[in-house]
This record gives sequence, structure tokens and C-alpha cells, in this order.
Amino acid sequence: MTTTQQTVRESFIGRFKPVAANGKSLGTEARNQALSALDTLEIPGRKWEAWKYTDLRELSQREYSLATASENIDIQPFLIPGMESDLLVFVNGIFVPALSHTGKNEGRLSITPLHDLKGEDAALFESHFAQLADPQSDIFTALNTAYASGGVFICVRKGQEALAPVHLLFLTDASAKASLSQSRNLFVVEEGANATLIESSRSIGENTSLRNAVTEIFVGENATLEYVKLQADTHQASLIDRTEVYQSQSSRCFTYTITLGGELVRNSLIFKLDGQHVESHLLGAWLLDGLQHTDNYTQVHHMQPNGFSNELYKGIMDEKSTGVFNGRIHVYRDAQKTNAYQSNRNILLSDTANIFTKPQLEIYADDVKCSHGATTGRMDESALFYLRARGIPEQAARLMLVRAFAGEVIEGIQNEALRGYLSEMIEKRFE
Amino acid sequence: MLHISNLHASVEGKEILRGLTLEIGPGEVHAIMGPNGSGKSTLASVLAGKEDYEITDGEVLFHGKNLLDMDPEVRAGEGLFLAFQYPVEIPGVSMVNFLRTSVNSVREYRGQDVLSAGDFLKLMNEKKKIVELDANLTKRSVNEGFSGGEKKRNEIFQMAMLEPSLCILDETDSGLDIDALRIVSEAVNKLRSPERSFLVITHYQRLLEHIVPDFVHVLYQGRIVTTGGKELALELEAKGYDWIKEGAI
Repeated sequence: MTTTQQTVRESFIGRFKPVAANGKSLGTEARNQALSALDTLEIPGRKWEAWKYTDLRELSQREYSLATASENIDIQPFLIPGMESDLLVFVNGIFVPALSHTGKNEGRLSITPLHDLKGEDAALFESHFAQLADPQSDIFTALNTAYASGGVFICVRKGQEALAPVHLLFLTDASAKASLSQSRNLFVVEEGANATLIESSRSIGENTSLRNAVTEIFVGENATLEYVKLQADTHQASLIDRTEVYQSQSSRCFTYTITLGGELVRNSLIFKLDGQHVESHLLGAWLLDGLQHTDNYTQVHHMQPNGFSNELYKGIMDEKSTGVFNGRIHVYRDAQKTNAYQSNRNILLSDTANIFTKPQLEIYADDVKCSHGATTGRMDESALFYLRARGIPEQAARLMLVRAFAGEVIEGIQNEALRGYLSEMIEKRFE
Repeated sequence: MLHISNLHASVEGKEILRGLTLEIGPGEVHAIMGPNGSGKSTLASVLAGKEDYEITDGEVLFHGKNLLDMDPEVRAGEGLFLAFQYPVEIPGVSMVNFLRTSVNSVREYRGQDVLSAGDFLKLMNEKKKIVELDANLTKRSVNEGFSGGEKKRNEIFQMAMLEPSLCILDETDSGLDIDALRIVSEAVNKLRSPERSFLVITHYQRLLEHIVPDFVHVLYQGRIVTTGGKELALELEAKGYDWIKEGAI
């Protein structure tokens, strides 16, 4: 490391430090590991394979300050119309009880902001915290593990079905000054349980912001989880997100990562299929314009036999935006009879938009069915002409095709209000 | 209603239409026949407004307005309809959504009220009967997974929905079996009216046994080389196109 790099690194880490004053008592061991890892971890750069197409240098040299929360925010524009849910609102990473409400899933699941954890839930948290996202693996995970205090622990109790989705709204308020925030979530879906979780990343204000989020998810035997991430921040807000999912035998997990906003968005999504007959669905879409940059980095680890995974990511890029898809399926030697599919499809709407796509398969078992592929093209001109020849104005026809392309990604979402909302968000994106 | 005079059109520098002149009056059915590569489908595409073609000379007036200056959607609004030779599959766009947007766009252009969901469904069910379209097809994505015959019937169904004044059928008979040909032809005949004109582009005479034309034109090397009544189609069927080609040279 050069002296300049060292200075940048230290001042970047330094900006996160004041949060440490919160005096947390849980996860001490992992936090200590993270703190000592921070002595050496570097800000990832282009020489790192996992960060090859996403440059953080400029972003990490900006001035941010750890922002405070306010209750005087109108959250109405960020709610999902027609969807009954438990709602937890975090402003600049800090839980705001006045804006939140729970109680729709009483007795079926527990929802606890991290600073309120006690008793059995605290023990459960302790035994799962930092078990998936290794605090020593990269600087963002380390910073998050060391300093993040905002976030939630959700446990869906054994055999229980959630009656309503749980909506986590992470709102960045950069209206007064640049905002830096972190969030940390842990979800445990116990044996045979079933739930839908939604995480919205939204922002207000014209100043720049950065949110560093880590989420760890355990899906127990025979359990089902649907997890939807809606990332619709302003073009000044950046997000570094790492989500790790650990699945036990015969469990099913569906993740939807929909990126519509943000200046720079990096999603690391890592699945570990550690049981037989596990089913994993990774769906994603991004719709970008301006100078937006979205990087979806995924890993699917097939560790046991008879697993199934299906990954579909679709990107639409306009103007000077950049999309990255870097996905790897790893089939372990014991994971016979694995079915694993991966596909990344892209549409470039301008000559100046970029896509970097890298689908990868790494297979060590011999009796498997795997496929992967990527396509990139322009909007289907013959379809566009067909719609226009039927009287549909060009702009409306283009929107129709964009929505149709991205719509495939969300059509499996169970909750109708949620699916309809996402569909509308996608449709409005390029209006 | 449609005046085409001295139309020249090229694609990638190659001239396909080379001085085509044609006049279609209200309620008339014109058939255009001709050997492969004579410019039949180019004519259909140019009239519908496909951007791949460069118009180098000539004029097309539709209801007295300059057709060539209009966007494809404006042409549809003005009453021009092209039944595609190869209808496009559009995954993710449902037939119902597509048709409702299409019908209401055209209605809006024509200064008519936008149809309510209920009225639209009523209209759709009524017109579906004309082409004996399977009810389930409208639940699918546009043309996706449709058989060749279903695609062509779907074109005529859309034609019925949009109530155009000029219908261009681009080789609608290609890829149709006898039954589908009969259904499509009967549907077209039901849609004939004193105000509605047809331009039927076909390679074979058999379609014209069902949709009887008022005029038959033979297109060769981008020009209409001969015009006659419906009996010309029979003559072409019997003698082939060689005598036309020889005559043209």
C-alpha cells in the first residue's frame, strides 16, 4: 500500500468510528475480529477479481458525516399501497419507532431492533451473528460488523407462517448534509416456517450518501423465504450491500433484487445450499440511466446433492450508465444431481451505456445439470415496429417493451400488491 | 383513398420499388401478385412505415394526406392496417394489455372516447368470434407460442378490433392450411364494406378464390407491369410468371 492509499483508507475507516460509542454488548467476539481486521484490510480496487468493474476510489474519498435520524419525515411516498405489513423504518441507519408499526404477525415471528435484543432472542442472535459474513473478508463487512448498530433481528418461529410481509424501510436523509450510514440485519427462518420480507432502500435530499448494509439469513429445514430488495434511491445515494443466505435441507428461498436508483450500487449475494433438496431462486433486474453504476456479484454454493438453483438477472441501461453482472455457480464434489441454471440478459438503450457480464460455472461433481449464459442487445426493433403499427405511440411502445423485459423477473412474487407495486415502479422508471 | 405515384424505395442502397403507381378507391379489393423478390413485401412495409427503407422518389397520399411523412402509429390512427407476414412474438406483453393499449391509442387519435375495461372486453369477445380465435390465446403474451395459423388469425382479429379503412394483407395465406385459410378468408369477407379497402399481397391464386378481388396487379422488378380483373390471377396460376418476365424485358 502506498502512503496515499494508506491515508485514504484510514480516513475512510475513521468516518465510521463515532458509531462505536453505542456500547453494544452483543456479538463482541465478531466485532473484535472485525476491528483487528480493519488494521490491514484495504479498500477493494480493480485488481480484485470480485471488484474488477466497480471503482470505489472516488466514492471512498468523499466527505461524509454520520447522520442523525429525524422523525419528521413523510414516509408515505415509500410505502407499498394496498399491502398490509409490519413496518420498520430506519432513517440514516437508526431505527425510528414513531414511524414504525408491528403486530400483524404476533406470536408467529419476532421482530426486534438490534439494540433491544434480550433473552432468548439475544442468545439466538449471538449464535448466528457473523457466521456467514466473515468480518475479515473485506473492509465493508468489517466496518459493518465493527460499527453498525442499526438493523433488525427477525425470527420466524418454527412451523409458523407469517400472516403479512415484513417491510424494512431504510431511508437515507441527505437533505441537510452528506450522509453515511450502516445497517445490519439477521433473519432466522426456523424449521417449516414461511415468510415474506421486503427491504426498501430509499433516499431523500440532494447531498451525496453512502449506506453499507450486511444481511445474514438462515433458512431452516423445510422453510420458505421470499426476500425482496427494492433499491430505488436517488442518483446521489450509493449502496454497498452484502447478503448471505444459508439454506438447510428441503428449504426454499427466493430473492428479488430490483435496482432502479442509486449512484453506485454493489450487491454481493451469496447462497450456501447446505442440505439436500434445497431450492434457491435468485432474480434480479436493474434499470439505469445517467451515470448510474450497478454491480451484481453473486455466488451460489451447491454443497450437497439434489439441489436446485435458478438465477436470472436482467439489465436495462440507458445514457452513460454501467451494469455489471459477475455470477458464479460452484458445485462441490459431493453435490451430485445438482441442477443449476444461470442467465444474464441485457438491453442497452444507448451507444454510451456499458455492460460487463461474467457468468461462471465451477463444477467438481460429475452427475449434474448446469447451464449459464449471457446476452446483450438492443431493444427489439421488430417488436417496436409491430406495436407502433398498431397505433401505439413510440414512447409508450418502448415502455411496454422495457416493462415486459424486466417484468419476467418479478412475475413469481406471491404478494399481489407488492408485485403490482414493483411492476409500476419499473414502468415509471423511464417515463 | 390511396394514391401511390412513381414510388421509389431502396434498402441498403438497393432499389426495390422502381416507380410504382397504384390507385385504390373506397371499398375496393386489390390483389398484388408477383414472383419472389419483385417488391411485394417491401410495398407493404413502406406503406406501414417501417424505417429500414429509404424513399427516394414518388408520393403516397392516404385520404388526401401525405402518408410518407407520418409515423407508423399515426398511419394506424389514420386508418391503415398491415397484417404482418411474420407477426412478431412479444414475450411479457399480454394480448389483452397490448390490444387495449392499441385500441385506445387509435381511438384517442381519432378523437373517440377511450374504452372502459368492460366495454373493451365486450368488443374483444365480439370480434374474437369473427376469426374463431381460441379464448385462451388472449390470455397469453402477444403471439408467443401461437401456431402459424393462430398468428395469422390474430392479425385479422386485430384488424377487426382497430376498424381500419385500408387493410394490407401481406402474404396472409403463407403457412396456412386449408381450414385456417377458409377461416381467415371468411373473416376478411365479413369485414368488407363500401368504405373499407383491401390490398391483398399474395404469391398464390388460392387465397383469391376466397377473397375475390376487384383488381389484380402483377408486380415485377418494383413496378406494376400488368393489371386485370380476377381472371388474371387464374391466368397466372396456369401460366406462371415467366411470360410476365419476358414481356417486361
